[in-house]
Amino acid sequence: MSTIFDEIKDAIVDGDEDLAVELAERVIAEKVDPVQAVQLGFIGGIEEVGKAWTNGEAFLPDVMMAADAMKAGMDVLEEVLAAGEGDGGYEDKGKIVLGTVEGDIHDIGKNIVGALLTSAGFKVYDIGIDQKAEEFVAKADEVGAKIIAASALLTTTMKSQKTLVEYLNDNNLRDKYKIIIGGGPTSAKWGEDIGADGWAETADEAVELCKQLLA
Amino acid sequence: MLPKFDVLTDEQINKIHKNSMRILKEIGIEFSYDPVIEIFKKHGQRVEGHRVFLEPDFVEEMVEKAPAQFTLHARNPEHNLVCGDGNTIYMPGYGAPFIYDADGGKRDATMADYDNFVKLAGASKNIHMTGGTVVEPTDVPDDIRHLKMAYSHITNSDKCFMGSSSGYEFARDSIEMTAILHGGLDVIKEKPALICLINSVTPLKYDDRMLGGLMAYAETGQPMVIASLVMAGSTGPATMAGALSLQNAEVLAGITLAQCINPGTPVVYGSTSTASDMSTGSLSIGNPENALFASASAQLSRFYGVPCRGGGGLSDAKTVDAQAGYESMMVLFAASTTGVNFVLHTAGILQYYMAMSYEKFMVDDEIAGMVLRYLKGFDCDSDEKMAFDVIKTVGPGGHFLTQKHTRKNFKTEFFRPALSDRQSFDAWAKDGLDTNQRAKARWQEVLANYTAPELDADVKAKIEAFIEKRTKELIK
Repeated sequence: MSTIFDEIKDAIVDGDEDLAVELAERVIAEKVDPVQAVQLGFIGGIEEVGKAWTNGEAFLPDVMMAADAMKAGMDVLEEVLAAGEGDGGYEDKGKIVLGTVEGDIHDIGKNIVGALLTSAGFKVYDIGIDQKAEEFVAKADEVGAKIIAASALLTTTMKSQKTLVEYLNDNNLRDKYKIIIGGGPTSAKWGEDIGADGWAETADEAVELCKQLLA
Repeated sequence: MLPKFDVLTDEQINKIHKNSMRILKEIGIEFSYDPVIEIFKKHGQRVEGHRVFLEPDFVEEMVEKAPAQFTLHARNPEHNLVCGDGNTIYMPGYGAPFIYDADGGKRDATMADYDNFVKLAGASKNIHMTGGTVVEPTDVPDDIRHLKMAYSHITNSDKCFMGSSSGYEFARDSIEMTAILHGGLDVIKEKPALICLINSVTPLKYDDRMLGGLMAYAETGQPMVIASLVMAGSTGPATMAGALSLQNAEVLAGITLAQCINPGTPVVYGSTSTASDMSTGSLSIGNPENALFASASAQLSRFYGVPCRGGGGLSDAKTVDAQAGYESMMVLFAASTTGVNFVLHTAGILQYYMAMSYEKFMVDDEIAGMVLRYLKGFDCDSDEKMAFDVIKTVGPGGHFLTQKHTRKNFKTEFFRPALSDRQSFDAWAKDGLDTNQRAKARWQEVLANYTAPELDADVKAKIEAFIEKRTKELIK
């Protein structure tokens, strides 16, 4: 007989957001251990999808829909997890604020990075497109994020990544956060030039970068 | 000229058209720029916030106003180009921030690279204009990049070129500089001399920067390519018909806007739609889907009676290798033979528009020459060309190598490679150079031998004065 954990895992693998929410609600209603639901269900599912993706068997829609389903279900469980219910408690791998910089409204790459970070166990706060430096920082401050990730697709908006780093310097906040950048026209050299803590060319490299920065 | 072949049936064209009209009417499209919202309101279109819902009849009426073809004027009239009418116009890649070199290295593109690519385009007989933003010159502050880029096109070649579309102000600067080159704004209003690239942000958006650019070009009657890049599977539906409908809706909305601002202003229907790489979500351009989108767009353009932009020497390769060659040939060949008129990105592009490569430029130049020859097709117009007499003279079992007819005709009938190696094995093996290495030697040679056509000293001084004045205003 399949357990609710298996059902959650299958819902994540199928990228079924509605079912993931429904099952999370059942976890609360039936007083199932929420930590086990996360470990065996949500994380179990996302790890399976992540592995298939790494092996080239799953594709981006599979991973992104699984990440969405996981996020939706985890949001339902957030309260009971925060209250420390369940065996051993649950902690995410780290909080990351993610957004597209001021003047730029491209978001597909950012969304992919967000999904892969989520699937790797990070808690991602996506603040959207065309975001000023102060908005990145306000969100990071609010949620207690350690990493701020800023995307730019245009050569004309790359300078907003620099503005972000300068904003942190000017406000004596530079040591509080790790700044990582990415996007088509950016490069490792650009990251170094503006004093970012890291740069990644692809979404999976961004995951590795965050793991290193929070290690 | 070769007949253009179709990839869609009439029934399919109608279905795509109706689907696009339904998208525009029922879903609408977002224009972030307030002056544009006012224009659509004035024309009686439904507006909710920044979203505009366009009536099919209105779109059809506006698109009808756009000319089927136009002439783009060069400072040397020999290089004037007719855009439309079955013509094919080739130019360098556009917008790449990086240079990939022959040894596999990667670096930021500079103004020196910019000048070099303009010169290579100026020198080529297969590349008809010098393009625009041939690389992003990252060593020039972006407040004045557009001035330096226009100056490069104006001084390094006498072919047609493209101007900035990066907001109203920069667009006006490019237009002013072109006006000085041609003897005044009134002259280029009468004889368009600058074209730009306006891109939607798929799905269903246009941003401030591009709309400002669009307004500047439309107001002054300068042509523009209005293009959409649907990444099927990520920024658009994963079906070809759905993605094409979405692209079509976006482009028609842009053309409609341009015609509202200035009825009859020349536009080019642009497509760079393609398939996403579904493993990484990244853009991919050297694929059969891109070739199909370009061909379908050429056909849609004929349906709407406007010229078309699409295709190019497009590849996802990182260096000049077999992938770079076969991908580029596929997309350029498909676009050219199915009737795309304006081929941005014909030469130099590697890794989905991220990089320009000198070696790739020379490879694409060669591909362009081959495709142009193919497009000329067969000449059956004279007895000379039908060659009955010489066949009779030689008779059974002879050969044609020593016939006057042969000597007279082969140079114009055959494509002569500039880069491809046709030697024997032993002759090739002496140096053993592959295409990448030969291309490197070739571009260096072309650049070393290039002399820019002379520019009238008075005109040059006026343009330099304009740049100086604007630089002072723009760099605070």
